[in-house]
Amino acid sequence: MEARRRVAITGLGLVTPAGLDVATTWDALLAGRSGVAPISLFDASGFPVRIAAEVKGFDGSRAIDDRKLLKFANRSHRFALAAADEAIRDAGMRPTPETGTRWSCVVGTGMMGVEFADLADVHRRCAPDGEFDPQRLLAEQDGGMDPIVFCRSQSAAGVSLLLRRFGIRGYASSVHTACASGGQAIGTALKLIRRGTADYALAGGFDSMISPVGLGSFCLLSALSPDNETPQRASRPFDRTRNGFVLGEGAGFVVLEEWNAARRRGAKIYAELAGDGNSLSSYRITDSHPSGDGPIQAMQQALSDAGAKLDEVDYLNAHGTSTPMNDRSECAAVRAVFGPHTERLSVSSTKSVMGHLIAAAGAVEVAVCALAIRHGVLPTNANLKELDPECDLNIVRGEPRRRRVRVAISNSFGFGGSNSCVVLRNPEEVERAAASRA
Amino acid sequence: MTMAAADKVVVTGTGAICAAGKTPDEILDAVQAGKSAISPIQGWDASAWPTGVAGEITGVSPTALIEDRKIHKLIRRTHLLGLYAASHAIENAGFVAHRDKLAAEAAAVFSDRTGVYVGSGGGTYQDQYEFFPLMSTGDGSLRTFGQELGATVNPMWLLRALPNNVLCHIGIRYGLKGPNACITNHSVSGTLAVIEAALALRAGEADQAVAVGHDAPIEPESLLYYQRLGLLAADALLPFDAERSGSLMGEGAAALVLETATAAASRQAAVLGEVLGSGYAAEGEGLLTIREDGDGLARSIVAALEDAGIHADDVGMIVAHGNGTRQSDSSEAAAIRRVFGASVPPITAFKWAFGHLLAGAGILDAVLALRALRQRSVPGIATLRRIDPEFAGLPISADAQTPRTDVALVISRGFAGTNAALLLRAAPGD
Repeated sequence: MEARRRVAITGLGLVTPAGLDVATTWDALLAGRSGVAPISLFDASGFPVRIAAEVKGFDGSRAIDDRKLLKFANRSHRFALAAADEAIRDAGMRPTPETGTRWSCVVGTGMMGVEFADLADVHRRCAPDGEFDPQRLLAEQDGGMDPIVFCRSQSAAGVSLLLRRFGIRGYASSVHTACASGGQAIGTALKLIRRGTADYALAGGFDSMISPVGLGSFCLLSALSPDNETPQRASRPFDRTRNGFVLGEGAGFVVLEEWNAARRRGAKIYAELAGDGNSLSSYRITDSHPSGDGPIQAMQQALSDAGAKLDEVDYLNAHGTSTPMNDRSECAAVRAVFGPHTERLSVSSTKSVMGHLIAAAGAVEVAVCALAIRHGVLPTNANLKELDPECDLNIVRGEPRRRRVRVAISNSFGFGGSNSCVVLRNPEEVERAAASRA
Repeated sequence: MTMAAADKVVVTGTGAICAAGKTPDEILDAVQAGKSAISPIQGWDASAWPTGVAGEITGVSPTALIEDRKIHKLIRRTHLLGLYAASHAIENAGFVAHRDKLAAEAAAVFSDRTGVYVGSGGGTYQDQYEFFPLMSTGDGSLRTFGQELGATVNPMWLLRALPNNVLCHIGIRYGLKGPNACITNHSVSGTLAVIEAALALRAGEADQAVAVGHDAPIEPESLLYYQRLGLLAADALLPFDAERSGSLMGEGAAALVLETATAAASRQAAVLGEVLGSGYAAEGEGLLTIREDGDGLARSIVAALEDAGIHADDVGMIVAHGNGTRQSDSSEAAAIRRVFGASVPPITAFKWAFGHLLAGAGILDAVLALRALRQRSVPGIATLRRIDPEFAGLPISADAQTPRTDVALVISRGFAGTNAALLLRAAPGD
């Protein structure tokens, strides 16, 4: 049987609350410099939660030199275009008319299609007393029904803009499994290259729910940290006093390509994208089982898919949302999977700095794992003062930890019970194994 | 890449609901009888609307679809439809009943090896209208919005709106824990759910999987946008007709239970058909742009034939996307001609009978195609009065035709110039 195709990560792009590109985000993660602050995007003064991890100082038209395209892009699409641009530039290779059909694009996309200003416009015209009147919408359609609003709000809008921007003409898909979306998108792209459906992929996630409806809907679920007075301390995964997650926004993209092709062109290979695990918890909509059932299967599948041994895994970028339930259940899952190897596995949740980027989180955190492998340093789990005894993993506290990483894994678990685990391997390990076989 | 060594992927259960019926049999019977379920919209008074008709599911109470009342408070209409179709498919495949007879450990492995793949419409505009009363309170400021939020809006709002609700509720209802995806990619979503499920089975990631697509797009705001973009007809969806002027919306869902041939044989499951292969490609020229030459669709059909290891001549019938817009039908015919040359198998399309289900459309077509093949009858397009001269020579008819083999090609197309091609073989019919 023909050997399975290997997949290389050769480009990274980030727009996060910690920075507008890979370099500044990475610096902030190493320094533990929080991206959380009082909300500036709208007047949140009446909300129970008034803090978030916003992307700061982002100017879409400076990042993207295509005004026509930007017209069709909402805030999260602009993050996506900018992060994807950086990833493609970083890879030093882009789709051409000849290779475009061999490129695929898979994105984890957010659920909030309609921007609040557009919703408010419909409200003003058709529901001033709170009750929506479809006849008023019909009467005012010439003045108000802007097709651009429709285009921006479609679930395929983001992928459509990316395809057009880069000339990608192969497999193109948008997936949404809430907070697991980004991880699942990258897992899907991995399989496309393995199967031979594509030779290259642009994969990632983007989201922005920091709006009155997005923030409001999480407030209603009491899922967010209410620490309005101490925003930079609010996201503290694994801390005994943690009390909810902090809403973030942004985008993360990776460029993937078939390993041998990447080697032949002398590409800078961050890591092998070595495995993907994907399971359903089928327990509750918002929680995973306290035993870790669900995440356990995702991690086991991913490690087995990658052919990685437990004692090779040096770093886990945890889902680590900073909600009481998630962190406890994730730690139980890690112990169940790693058993006696748990103590030497270094763990951090970079949501401690960036907040929770929802549909973008998994993709951004895969990029963080690639950087940890490349630089041999693990970002810190900020704000951890008093470790929860139920979360007694080997967590990177205080200073970032120098450690050569052979294998890194990234967990993402979504509302609805979808669990994603992605495995990355140090390219030196791949070469060493190849040499020892030869 | 050859997949000769891989296990076959077989179909062991189907389910569907749309305006034309509540089971695949009912729906196909209506189509074969030439009955259209398109009717005046009842969701609101649409009598003065430029497009006042659609394929709505009427006269069905939610609890008749899913008995469990608790679930109704946690989900939206589209999810109810998806959950119903998936449950129907799961129950008629009988694999949950099979699992329940296994010893605890084997049953747990079975659950971990069962995937769930969903194509979801994503969400509607009117989901967010539930914030309108809040936006009208007090002085209408955001400060008041924040203060009154908890007292005015259903705390379950976000959970009810989750695009992946069908995925999680099928999982919880049947205890399925394997690989999964929720695809929100407009009209190819349901077909991609089938494609991804079949590929996961082939790759050995799961032994059985449920694929479902669902959508409920009939709402005022969305309808007006589609209409303003020139995508909707006034009163009839007329695939490949000279008079065609656009599509019509429909709501509903469809589901397939897929298994490896080994898994199906090990529990002596009745096999309805086989997923032979698939192809998928985007044109990438914009959200609404479709190439006239059918480039992306032609590439996806060729890829599907290669994937299945069959020739164009082996295809016995084509279920076209046939959404009734001038551009889509024309470019679709161009792609079919490019791939099939002078030897085109009988072509049909189903959307005239129940509207365009968007995320549910392609998978419903797949369910109906399997049944039509088993009956050895390609349903006619009953609305066809005068075939567009552009399509002269193509085997498109108002009357039933006979499939030339037991293989169907099902085509789905969506926004962003996406094109999916699915090849199915029917097991000998009933």
